Amino acid sequence: MVNYGGDEVSALVIDIGSSSLRAGYAGDDAPKAIIPSSYGYIPPSAHSDNGDVRMNETGASESVAKAKSFFGHSGPSIWRANMEIGNPITDGLITDFGPIPALFRHALEDVMRCSASEHPILVTEPSWNTTANRERMAEIMFEEFQVRLIENLTQLSRFAAGKGSALVIDIGQSTASVVPVVDGFVLRKGLQHSSLPKLVHAHARHLLTAPNPVRRPADLYPYQLISSKQAVEPNAPPRYTLREDRLAGTTQSWREWYEAREVEEWVQSVAGVLDQGWNDQVVQHRQHKQYEFPTGYNAWFGPERFGVGEMYFHHSPQLVAGNPDIPKHIPGLITDSLRACDPELRQVLISNVVLTGGGSLFSGLADRLGSELARSFPHFKIHAPGNPIERRYGGWLGGSILASLGTFHQLWISREEWQEHGKAIVGQRCK
Amino acid sequence: MASASDVRSILSLPAVSSPAAGPSQPKKQVAVSNRKPEGISRELYSLIGPSAPTLLAQLAQPRLKQKPNLGGGGKVKWEWRLFKNGARSDSLELGHWVKATDNPDADYKFAKYNAQPTVYEWSQDEYSRHLEDSEWTKEETEYLFKLAQEYDIRWHIINDRYEYPSGPKREIEDLKDRYYSVCRKLIRNRTWAGDEFSKSQLLLSFQYDKEREILRKKYVASLANRTPEQIQEEEALYIEIKRLDQNERQFKRDRENLLRTIAGVDSGLPDIIEDDASLIIADPKKKKLKGIDLDIPQTPVLTAPVMRRPPALNKNAVYDTTHCIIRNDPPSTTPATKVAHTPAYFRSVRIPYPKAGIADKVNALLAEVGVTNSRLVMPTHANCQRLESVTDAATNLIELKRVLDKVNLDIEVLKNRLQLREDGGDSASVADAMEMDDRGDTAEPEGENGRSQSVLSARSTRSRKHTRRSMSISSVDTTVATSTRPSTKRQKRM
Repeated sequence: MVNYGGDEVSALVIDIGSSSLRAGYAGDDAPKAIIPSSYGYIPPSAHSDNGDVRMNETGASESVAKAKSFFGHSGPSIWRANMEIGNPITDGLITDFGPIPALFRHALEDVMRCSASEHPILVTEPSWNTTANRERMAEIMFEEFQVRLIENLTQLSRFAAGKGSALVIDIGQSTASVVPVVDGFVLRKGLQHSSLPKLVHAHARHLLTAPNPVRRPADLYPYQLISSKQAVEPNAPPRYTLREDRLAGTTQSWREWYEAREVEEWVQSVAGVLDQGWNDQVVQHRQHKQYEFPTGYNAWFGPERFGVGEMYFHHSPQLVAGNPDIPKHIPGLITDSLRACDPELRQVLISNVVLTGGGSLFSGLADRLGSELARSFPHFKIHAPGNPIERRYGGWLGGSILASLGTFHQLWISREEWQEHGKAIVGQRCK
Repeated sequence: MASASDVRSILSLPAVSSPAAGPSQPKKQVAVSNRKPEGISRELYSLIGPSAPTLLAQLAQPRLKQKPNLGGGGKVKWEWRLFKNGARSDSLELGHWVKATDNPDADYKFAKYNAQPTVYEWSQDEYSRHLEDSEWTKEETEYLFKLAQEYDIRWHIINDRYEYPSGPKREIEDLKDRYYSVCRKLIRNRTWAGDEFSKSQLLLSFQYDKEREILRKKYVASLANRTPEQIQEEEALYIEIKRLDQNERQFKRDRENLLRTIAGVDSGLPDIIEDDASLIIADPKKKKLKGIDLDIPQTPVLTAPVMRRPPALNKNAVYDTTHCIIRNDPPSTTPATKVAHTPAYFRSVRIPYPKAGIADKVNALLAEVGVTNSRLVMPTHANCQRLESVTDAATNLIELKRVLDKVNLDIEVLKNRLQLREDGGDSASVADAMEMDDRGDTAEPEGENGRSQSVLSARSTRSRKHTRRSMSISSVDTTVATSTRPSTKRQKRM
């Protein structure tokens, strides 16, 4: 035990992102509870005429007073009449603290079945988190739980990679970030992040739903709204009937959330990126992939499926001219980040590139990143775990390692310290 | 396969009386013989029987490694215990699992890693006396030292977090320079408890040269800002150097081999040192010292073998005389590289023959005295030597005779000439004699030239340029020699 400097104090680690919340015991190699960050709620006005059976009711939060909220795997993904979908996270930051306690409580008490007050809790945060945000989080945690500490998310990723200094490229559901970490500290001047994954998502959605000479636009109805369907030939018009009884009670936000999920699913299973940059000949020779939507409509996707991934690395001049504040692509983020760093550090960072986040599992992304880096840097090394669990939950894993280290235990903020110093202690301790 | 009865009949053993007794017999034997020792397989033992070599019996059967006994009997009692961390200032108690046997009052073992850097502090008086700087205010200096302590003097982090309100923009070099200069001044001006050496050591550790650091960083930046073309060019140059170097080696090796083959000598060039670094970094001094000049390949001297003949072995002279062994010196005409071994030969083949020009005369002379040169009946060492001396004597005699004849003839001629001068003189005959002399002189270089040409043609494969040069030299020789007369032969050659 002493050999690796570990000393387990049965701490809990909570890592919240825009798509999911991960929670588990420090020292484990994977989180125990993985629940969607999105939650469903039924506004009080619609509450009275809702006769549906409610599952997983974990209490109402302050912001949606007297509203029924639904968390977890049987939360937002189940159709309920008049249920709206909310997400506390925008652009990687927690903007709505209302549902946060309920979300945490659901993950810890309903999924992990442990009492939050018995354990020290480590909560992660993005590197660009604001001080006010962090203090608010600390306040919530001390109201509910005993002790806790916020540690930096990207720092944790490089912990998982076992590196002291690294350039962490984290691609999540809504945000892509490039963060230089030196000796365990984030260099704030070199911090770069953009909502690139959202752009990719929008592009994919446009590709699927916009009228198109090759293919008919696809209807993105979720399974919950389809009562029956028939098998059809590829590219043929789908034959399905909708559940008319449900359509009336479906809210706009639930519909949007589910359509986004459909697009996400298509991106994950069909879209890819070429490993050597866009090339018309190569694209023609790549295998086409078939995909079937919940409506029964199915089609073969050829070159256009690689156009989606291309958005990560290259923006066409027309696109840039059209919207000037387009999110920066990954090579742009890396260049900007390195430019802000000391010239001495650049070589160190580029030889320790850590690729993490669920978005980085995009097919062919790691290879393409390698070839992009090879164009501008003679020596570089990308550390991208082949294990998808490690890649998706890199931040959580780093927290799990950190919170089980013996030398870390002097950094916990105790209730006593919180009461004595107040909010100032948070900024002091979480550098 | 031969059956048991066949074996019995071959070995003329008595036949088994009844078939039932057959199997019982070996059983009894097994019972009688001592037990199979450990470490021998059953099959092997039944083959070699009890006469197994003792060594085999000692070889134990391979076993798995014994499990280490770590003591404690396998039962360790663990308990959940609350602990206090010495590195914390509050009274927080965390819990962890520890062995029940551990000392509960011991300090937390990770507390000792909470090492704080020593950061200097100063009084107002000290600051005003030593640390004043036009660029820095006292407050900003204090802010810098606070950050340095907070981030354990990790300069890149300090530079990243450095945000002094209403202060000028500071580069990392400015921060380092200020920090180290303040530390140096404080150490110098404070009373030092230790010895001078440790003080100077400490000062040395706070040494910082800002200009040099900036220059160094510029170099790093320029190295990083190379365009891909520049990097490629650099790579290409490097590969070119490698290639040239390899060619040079190949050339050397080929020449060495060629020289060995055609002239049988070593060129005398030392081997190329197989050290890439020393070759890439051109160091003419070093090369001169080692005797290699890579720029001008040396032309080896063919006639002078570098390798020394081993000195004659006289240590076993006594042995040789007692056993009547006579060692001949190896012939000096053989190349040095082949000195190692002379094959066995008949002594008779080594009998020297007289020179071809006078061989007939010598043979005639020997025949006259009754010695036959053609076949020695008993070519012992002594006989051979004697014959050699006789032949030598005869050769000398013939030579002397020839010289004598010539001298006599000269005397005769001079006498005649004197006679003629006394008689009144005749110039025509003298001129005729001179012309004859001249012709005799020109004949010799002509012949020499022809021979050297044949030698050269044999070597022409090696270096055409060289051949041409030597040809021209030899032709120049001829020109000098035959300058008195136009030569048709020479014109043709040119």
